[in-house]
Amino acid sequence: MRKWRLAAYGRFMAAAFAANVKSVIEYRVNFLVQTFGMMLNNAAFAAFWAVLIGRTGAVGGYGFQDVMFVWGLVSTAFGLAHILAGNVRQLGRIIMEGSLDVYLLQPKDALLNVLLSKTDVGAWGDLLYGFVVLGLLPGLSLERLALFCALAVPAAVIFASAFAMAESLAFFMGNSQGIAGALSEFLLSFSLYPEGVFGKGLRWVLYSLVPSGFVAFVPLRVFRSMDWPLVPALWGVAIVYAVLARAFFGLGLKRYESGNRMDTRV
Amino acid sequence: MAAIVAENLSKRFILRVRPQGRFAALRALVRPERRIVDAVKGVNFSVDEGEVVAFLGPNGAGKSTTIKMLTGILTPSGGGARVLGLDPARERKRLAWSIGSVFGQKSQLWFHLPPADSFRLLGAVYEVEPKLLRERTGALVERFGLAELMDVPVRKLSLGQRIRCEIAASLIHAPRVLFLDEPTIGLDVVARKEIRRLIEELNKRDGVTVFLTSHDMGDIEKVCKRAVIIHHGEVVVDESMKTLKHRALSRKHVGVRYARPTSMDLPGLSPLKRTEQSARYEVDTNRHALRDVVRALAERGELVDITVEDEPLENVIEQIYAARSGAEAAAVTRGGSA
Repeated sequence: MRKWRLAAYGRFMAAAFAANVKSVIEYRVNFLVQTFGMMLNNAAFAAFWAVLIGRTGAVGGYGFQDVMFVWGLVSTAFGLAHILAGNVRQLGRIIMEGSLDVYLLQPKDALLNVLLSKTDVGAWGDLLYGFVVLGLLPGLSLERLALFCALAVPAAVIFASAFAMAESLAFFMGNSQGIAGALSEFLLSFSLYPEGVFGKGLRWVLYSLVPSGFVAFVPLRVFRSMDWPLVPALWGVAIVYAVLARAFFGLGLKRYESGNRMDTRV
Repeated sequence: MAAIVAENLSKRFILRVRPQGRFAALRALVRPERRIVDAVKGVNFSVDEGEVVAFLGPNGAGKSTTIKMLTGILTPSGGGARVLGLDPARERKRLAWSIGSVFGQKSQLWFHLPPADSFRLLGAVYEVEPKLLRERTGALVERFGLAELMDVPVRKLSLGQRIRCEIAASLIHAPRVLFLDEPTIGLDVVARKEIRRLIEELNKRDGVTVFLTSHDMGDIEKVCKRAVIIHHGEVVVDESMKTLKHRALSRKHVGVRYARPTSMDLPGLSPLKRTEQSARYEVDTNRHALRDVVRALAERGELVDITVEDEPLENVIEQIYAARSGAEAAAVTRGGSA
């Protein structure tokens, strides 16, 4: 029975993904501009780091290749999260405006349903950028590519879960866009800087409330030493964050107040 | 068997009030003011399987809030509901397999995609086997006349075409109960008529229970067998359309037009509208025999036309709202002076 339910959820996710891709392809030029624009934007930051490390040497224990790996992984994970769960950064607004109704009327998990029902066009650029960076790093092999993917998936789940939790504050605060935006920015920004630059106190935060540790710092350690046994632990952490996000959303759902806004699914 | 039961169903919202005056925003930050709004106050009603019931009320009466509690979108603050034997608040996902819903203001179709893609996705949402999905989609396309619309992006459809697709999409999983919240809002006369026909057919052919809110009296008169009227969060009328219409039968609208300017004064009757050669009267047949009124008007001058019509149902419902508001105002006044 459980297997069958999982298969049904798999079919639902595949159908949502297909619908989202079709929806994006409706506007091909916009899709291409956003994809390559995002890659160019990320490349500009890589150039900045190249200059900085070229002048100062390693920063916080990170050499240029480490920085590039982290940028690549975070970019791919961030992109994957926003391609599959494109509504994740809109969730607070959706809750606040009472636009969850359509998802609540369907027999699928409401959080999964709302997250999967949109894709973020620009995120395709982020996803691809990570692979381009990996390709440019020395020593590319099938194993390194497989490990990169195995690390990017849990990081994407953690990104999506953390963003979803921050956005679900809207159930309790009404307009939570400020705090949700700040938490999201913290997570992204802290993930892109070397772990060594943060003090001990802050590091606790970076392995809990703002889980940069699990999307960037630990994956870098794993990648440096090709430490496969740690990968399942990261998947476990990702599942814990996903369960927490689902529970927090469910708690908030009891306070949901709906609304009378005109809505369309885009 | 009852398809829908509401027992003392209540919903209370706590709203933040924006205070007025100097430093109001600062005060609100320190001590926010809140106001309690009882949107639904312990409503009771039940709907049998296969019934088509109109759920009426003026704006803000609590119609949509009630529907949202019946479908599991909102958690009641008090009382409870059963829909097809399930508690919507606790068994929302289980219930969703057996109910369909169309909210005129909220679309479940993908805006940039053709309806065919949304139907496929909804098939996956409701876990309809691919073969069955093809059969059902085919049948719905035929019944709702969607053949030429299935490949057109939803954003390019007219409102009427979109609502037809919305209703068809809500039936992809063959629901037993259909909740329709203002399904004809913004539609032209032709599209409204078409939607009414489809709702009637769904009920008659497939035995689907329909719970409909609408401001369009045409929808209600043509489609529904019973009306539940809600006002200020309370059920004020729950009776068959026949009984409701009977209220209208004791009032007639008499229109008259003469060839020349004529004096049309009738003792005890004042016209609703009047020109030099025409007038329109509302006649309470319990007080004035209709034949006497018609005879008196015919004797006034050279008649060009005379019409006798039932009072529009809209007016009857308006009077129910007004009477209820008047009674509440009186109760408040009595309470205040006591």
